Order: sequence, then C-alpha cells, then structure tokens
Amino acid sequence: MIRIEDIRTQARDILETGEVRAVIGWRRGSRGMAAEPVLISQPEEAESLVWDPTCFHNLSLNLVQERKRLARKGMASNKPLALVAKGCDARSVTVLLQENHFRREDVYVLGVSCEGSGVLDERKLARVLDGLTPDSAAYDGDDYVFQTEEGEKRLPAREVMADRCLECRSAYPRLNNAVFGEEKTRGLEAPFAALSRFEQNRGAERWDFWKRQFERCIRCFACRSVCPLCYCEECVVDSIRLEVTPETTADEKANRIRWIERSASRSDNFGYHMTRALHLAGRCIDCAECERVCPVHIPLRLLNNKLEREAREKFGYEPGASVDLPALVSSFRDDDPNEFIR
Amino acid sequence: MSKKRTGVFVCHCGNNIAATVDVARVAQEMAGEESVVCAKDYVYMCSDPGQNAVIQAIKDNQLDSVVVSCCSPTLHEKTFRDNARAAGLNEFTCEIANIREQCAWVHKDRAKATEKAIKISRSAVRRVSGAKSLEPIGIGVTRRVLVIGGGIAGIQASLDLANAGLEVVLVEKQATLGGHMIQLSETFPTLDCSQCILSPKMVEVSRHPKIKLMTYSELQEVSGYVGNFKAKILKKPTYVDPEKCKICDDCSQVCPVVVPNQYDLNLTARRAIHIPYAQAIPASYTLDIKACLGLNPVVCGKCKDACEAQAINYDMQPETVVEDVGAIIVATGFDLYGQEKLGEFGQGKIEDVLDGLQFERLCSASGPTKGRILRPSDHTEPKDVVFIQCVGSRDPARHCAYCSKICCMYTAKHASLYKHHVPDGRAWVFYIDIRSGGKGYEEFVQRTMEEDEAIYLRGRVSTLYQQNGKIRVMGTDTLSGENVEIDADMVVLALAMQPSAGTAEAAKVLKIGRDKDGFLAEAHPKLKPVESVTVGVYLAGTAQGPKDIPETVSQASAAAAKAIILLSQDRLTHAPTVAQVRKSHCTGCEMCVDACPYEAIHLENGKAVVNDVLCEGCGTCSATCVRAAIEVKNATPMQMNQMIEAVLGF
Repeated sequence: MIRIEDIRTQARDILETGEVRAVIGWRRGSRGMAAEPVLISQPEEAESLVWDPTCFHNLSLNLVQERKRLARKGMASNKPLALVAKGCDARSVTVLLQENHFRREDVYVLGVSCEGSGVLDERKLARVLDGLTPDSAAYDGDDYVFQTEEGEKRLPAREVMADRCLECRSAYPRLNNAVFGEEKTRGLEAPFAALSRFEQNRGAERWDFWKRQFERCIRCFACRSVCPLCYCEECVVDSIRLEVTPETTADEKANRIRWIERSASRSDNFGYHMTRALHLAGRCIDCAECERVCPVHIPLRLLNNKLEREAREKFGYEPGASVDLPALVSSFRDDDPNEFIR
Repeated sequence: MSKKRTGVFVCHCGNNIAATVDVARVAQEMAGEESVVCAKDYVYMCSDPGQNAVIQAIKDNQLDSVVVSCCSPTLHEKTFRDNARAAGLNEFTCEIANIREQCAWVHKDRAKATEKAIKISRSAVRRVSGAKSLEPIGIGVTRRVLVIGGGIAGIQASLDLANAGLEVVLVEKQATLGGHMIQLSETFPTLDCSQCILSPKMVEVSRHPKIKLMTYSELQEVSGYVGNFKAKILKKPTYVDPEKCKICDDCSQVCPVVVPNQYDLNLTARRAIHIPYAQAIPASYTLDIKACLGLNPVVCGKCKDACEAQAINYDMQPETVVEDVGAIIVATGFDLYGQEKLGEFGQGKIEDVLDGLQFERLCSASGPTKGRILRPSDHTEPKDVVFIQCVGSRDPARHCAYCSKICCMYTAKHASLYKHHVPDGRAWVFYIDIRSGGKGYEEFVQRTMEEDEAIYLRGRVSTLYQQNGKIRVMGTDTLSGENVEIDADMVVLALAMQPSAGTAEAAKVLKIGRDKDGFLAEAHPKLKPVESVTVGVYLAGTAQGPKDIPETVSQASAAAAKAIILLSQDRLTHAPTVAQVRKSHCTGCEMCVDACPYEAIHLENGKAVVNDVLCEGCGTCSATCVRAAIEVKNATPMQMNQMIEAVLGF
C-alpha cells in the first residue's frame, strides 16, 4: 500500500537537503479527475504531490526534454533531477541510461511500485460511466473509487485498468534511489494477452484492420511527441529539418532523402508507423503512452508489443531490464538461437 | 549537382551472361539514363581488348564515373578499378553491377532476367552518381608475427617466419612445445619416428635468435589491426626457473602428489612437479598448481628442499606481456572427440578400450610400456585387437557429420604396428570405406592388408561390452552380410578430430569466424585457404579442419608465406570506404559501438568516432543507428535511397 505522505516527505527531504534540483511528479489536475505532471523546486510544494489511478503519464519524457533544454543552452547539469516513476517508467529511464542519454547521477528515481494496481484507462471508464464525469479517482484495495456528481462510484480495478497494466509482469521499479510500495505484481492477464487475442484473426483480416487504422491517422505526431524514446534530432519523416553544418554539401541539401512523405496518406502512414515500431524494437518498454494520446484511437500498442514479444522469444531480451544490458539491435551472443534464419 | 558523366560497360561473359540476359538491351537502356554518356557491351570485358576499350572510352568521353555490369565484384572489381585509375579516374568512382551471379546464373526466363539486369545496372548507375573520389588509407607495419600454438603447425610456421628474418612470438598453452605430434609413435606412410623428426625442429625453435618462445602462456586479448596488432599474453607461473633447472628429477622423487599424466593420455601417472617428457622444450620442470598441496613450506615444500640448483621459486607470479605484432597465425590444433559421448562403446569406462592417441603412446618407445603393446588392465599382450574407424565421424545424426580424414591411415598404421609387435596376434579393422588419397597412402593400406594380414571388415560396430575379461564386439560385415562377434582383448577407437578446446576462445579473441563444426573458417574455401576473415590473421593446421602431418606442414608454411608477403610491404593500404559520423545527428547512444564487429568505433565527448584503419566498411553501424548518424562512404543512405528507387522503377 502506497502512502502519498511518504512520497511527499521524501520529495521534501531531498529538496531541502539540496540533493536534487527539482522533483517531477503529479498534482491534482485542472481538468476533471486526471492528475497532471508538475515540476516542483521548493520543499513546501511537496504537499501538492498526488498518487492515484490517473497518474498514467510516463514522466521520463521530461528527462529527455530537460537534456534538450540544457543542450540548447549549452549547460551541463550539476544536480540531479528527481522523478516519480512507476515500474514501467523506471524501465524507460533504464533504456535512456543504456543509450547514454544522460548519466545515472543526473537522475534521482523516486520509484513507486503500483503493486499491480495499475492506472486507469479513461476510455474504458467513459464506457462504464456512460456520460458521467468523475471529479477524482483513488485506489482502494482491488477497486478504484470515483467521486461523481451522483456520489461515489466504486469499480473493480480490472474493469477499467489500462490493458498494459492488466498484462504487467513487473510493477516494481528496479532502478530507483528510493522506493515506495512492495515488490508485487498482480498479472491479471497473461503477458501479450491483447496481442494474442488480435493475432487470432487471419492474416488478411489483420491486414484489413491495419489498413483501416492507418487510413485514419492524421499524422499529428502525438505518439512521437509523447514517447520518451523518440528523441532523435531528426526524425525519418522530418528530413526537411536536415541540420545544415559546414560539412553538409550542396548535394545533400538539394537531395536530402525523403524516405517517407509528411503527408497523411495511407501508404506513408504505414511507412511512418512501421519505421517507428522498428526503431523502438528492443527499446519500447510498453508504457503505452502513444496509444493513450492518439486522438483517433489507433491501437499502436499492438505494434510495439509484437516486436517486444519477438525480441523476448527470439533473443530472450527484455527491454529496460538492466542498464548493463547492450541494446537489442547491437548485441550478439554466440548462443542466440537464430532459428529464423536457418 | 553538376551533371555526371558516367560510362556503362556491359559484359557478355561469353554465354555466361548473354545466354540469359539481352546484354545489348541492357546497354541500350543504360544509354537512356540521364547521367550516362556512353554505354557499350562486349563479349569479354575483362579480356585485354575489353579493358582497353574501357580505358579508351573513359578518355574519349571524359567520363567521371564508371559502371561495369559483369560478374561479382569479388572477382573483377579490382581489374576495372585499376583500369579507371589508368585512365586518370579515381578508382572509387568505378562500381560493379553484378548481373552474373545475382542474375544470369540464377534465372531462366530471358525477358525477366533482362529486366532484372537493367534494374541492377541502373541502381549501380544511380549509386555511382553519388560516389566520391577517395584515397586509400596508408598504415605502417610492425615486422613481427604472433604464432598461437606450439604443435607442428605452429613450429613450422615460426621457423619459416624466423628464417625469413621476421621476429616471431610463439605462444603455447602447455608447458612444452610439441603438441599432439610429439605424442605419436611412428608416422604413416613411412613409419619414421615422430619424436625423432619433430624434436630437431623443437630444438631449432628454442635456439632461434628470432623466436621468442612463450610456453605455459595464453593469449588473452588482441586489439589493433592488420600490421599493428597488440596481443596481451598471460604467462602462467611454472614455479621453476628454467635457467637454473638441471632436470635432475630430485624434485619429483620427493613430491607426494600423484595425478594422471595427460601427456600419456592418463595411461601413466606423474607428480605435481613434473616434466612432460625427456625432450621437453623448454627443458625444465613445471609445478602443476592445481595438483600441488599449495606452495606452502609449512604444508609440504619438499620439492624446494630437494632442489640443489635452487630453481624452485614459490613466489613466482603470473605475468601479463603485451606484444606488438603485424600478423597473427592461429594453429590451435585439435582434440579427439570425447569417448564419454559414445554410449555404445563403453563411454570411456572400459579400461582396454583405447583411443587412437592412447594406442600411439602404447606403441611409443618412450610410452608407458616402453613400446610393448600391453593391455592397460592386466599388462598382458592382447591377441585380438579390434580397430574401429569413423567413431564419431560421418555420423550427422548423433556426432560429427564430417570425415576426420586421417583415421583410415592411422588405423592402418596401428594395425600394421600391432602386427609388427605381436606377429601371432590378430588385427581386426571395421571400416565404412577406405579413404587413402595421398602419396604412398594406398600402397601402405594394401601392405597392411596383404603383408601384415590385418583383417578388414566392411561394416560398423553396433556395440561392445565386457565379458569374461574380454571385450565382446558386435559388428556387421556388410560384404558377407553376416553379423560378426569378436572376443577382443583390446579395442582401439579412431575417434573424430574436433577443434581443440581453446579454438573457440581464440576465435573470439581474434574476431575470426568458425565453421558449422567449430573449426576456424577460411576466408575463401578455394582461393584463400589460409586466410581468416580478419586481414592479417592466418590459419594453420588442424584448427582449420582435419588434416595429416604433411598437409599441416604445407599449410603452416603457406600461412607463414602469407604473413611474410604482408609484412614485406613498407606501408599497407586500407580501403577508404569506411564509416563516417554525422556529428549533428549522433546522440551518443553507443549502439554502433556495441554493434561494430571490428571494435572500430568509440565515443569521444558523447559522439561516435570511427577508427578508419580498423573499419572494414561493413555498414553494420549504419544499419544499427536509428538516427542515421553514421554512414559508410560511397554507400550512404542517400545512395541506397537512389538505388532502391532505381530498382523499384521510380
């Protein structure tokens, strides 16, 4: 059981001692029940931190943005930034560390094991509540409790929990400086359950499904913006942003590659999403933020999950398991099964 | 972009290409490409007139780039790049479009093959449009060679190198030189004594001023590149100073620890302090630390007390030495296939079932029985000896699929030696078929059958077991179609050869490949049989594949010659088609660093940096980088993009 007071006390302590520059966590949002990310730098602000089923954001994204901010200003970080991180979020911090995106001493992880209680899927809730908009959400044992204008609504967590939380294998943030909550996981559904259900469809059906999905993509790039691991300076779809340096030749400027057009046509959408999925293979830790923020509800998690499972089955690779692990695509072991190329 | 002036030359290769591909049409289509100013076809482009036509066309048309549509670039890329250079072009603006191996030879439908050849050629034309003039990278060389393994292969290679004037560092894992050859009794087909022909070479190695011999040492790490390797070698302590040791044997007389003697394949025992055999090089005792009671005068210390020469030093420490060398020869040798894997042959638990090397020791004058063939179990002379060939070899279902090549010959030798020692005994040989290719080999086998009266039975042995002090061998003679049961006094198994235990590790350290059976892989099975895939690393002996002594010696000399050729150059050149980093895009994620098989990339200030000399331009980094921040010169993503577009017909 996680007590928010413990998190607040720890946040206050590390701000007071000056151990960290600031703490990134969640506070009550200004829109309905959802918590919102907040950066606090004063000890007294620690009181505003919250922990409830709407803390779904992967806050490690802010570490990436902080690095970009520092790089722009030509500054080096002198003190770490603290981050409240769920098990999944801590894994993405791990991947960022694997990729040298920042140093371990630049981040202070306030790990929160949700103990398998998971976070809310707002869309599932909306279907259940049928028009009712709650003002707040809270954990209570196996249930989520919502305050609405019609009074308290109590729902079994598993009915409205995000799919990735239902399938979660490890809710405990192994990478941490301080940790709240116990090392337990519920595993309400088998890993990759949603993917397995989807794969029961025949190939042609799946193809039609994805054609329909990508037809709808409006290329708002919300998926890319929210992903902590989509941090490339120049995205494959953005070659117009080719950085011009003294080494850039006139040829390169005139003929920069346009692998994928920016316009939202179905085939280019395919190219974009497939490329993104492949670039996340062995890196995506299934925070499912891309799927949550998609305005047209494309189930992007299925793509990333597919590659995660391939990596797991073919190479025994678990993204974000350890900072010492080499990246999937750059590692080779003599005992790799390699069955798929024999 | 200034307009390119590309020439395309399409080769018929006699009928090799022209039979399947409409070569004239390929040339005609290429002439229609925007950057192409001349396109020709010719029956043999690699012939003298063909080459001259290329040179002339470059000059006449002021070409700035060339595409030759012909065979694989592994064959004639160099030819045509030399032509380009001769005509005043930079050779790296000449590319090959492979329309033979990758098109004509693998297709039948002429119309489709022609379409494909056009696409392949067009993609090369587009690629060459983005090609830059590059200059080869020059590197200096260290005129020293590291030889790994002190068996006959390593010994021969070292002597050849040293006699050619190169300095040699010879590293051997065991306490003495000699390898497996020193364990053999006589060698086929001439039956000269193995020790007698090998020990002079060993002495020559130990006395040679150009050879630095490091026994009881192991290669730990290799860094660097062709011409400039750095090898880290661990010298294990022998606890005996070879300078002082007088090989008087006083130490081993007092040593209380008895362990099996590996040199005699465990048929005899030795003390913890020992010398493998009388002619060992270096001539010095070695204290086996694994067996010793613990280098502690309080516990034992007997050997140190007994040593009058005061050669024993318990404080000797392991030492790591770094050697600079320009080339490396790997001669890590073989091991026999393990008897424990052979359930039907007693799993190595029956005392009188021996492997070939054990039988060699029994026959050897310096062996456990001083050259008399006696059963290990009761020291009686065996009257019926069964030799079984192909044990563990040629058995893809359960053991090794390959033929170990030397077993037919050494089994014949064993049978013959046995009959010389025990004329009234019977030698039975089970074989699948006899492979006796080699000078004097077939005659030797015939002599064994006819003069020595060995009984050859064509068939396999299904099982054997102990019964009344004998070994009951159950086999089949497929020529008579009858089952054969023999009550043998002794059984000798001709076990498969496999790469030695250290070979896998050596391959890893040297970044050279191994084949499906674990033997070191040569760069080309026919044309580069002693080269490994890493330039500057050469292969010799049974680490590369089963072979007999003459073949091993030839290969060792060949490997030495290759190293001599390499190191006879003042400067080596390295292809400039190496990876380069787009600093603006690199995030320092280190994936390329991990992915690079040549360890050519490292991080500097958070950005990847390529060592041009180490880089082989394989492009693995470029494929790994999700940020397109690293690319190989003249094979850039830009060029790839244009090639793909050409193939897709854009």
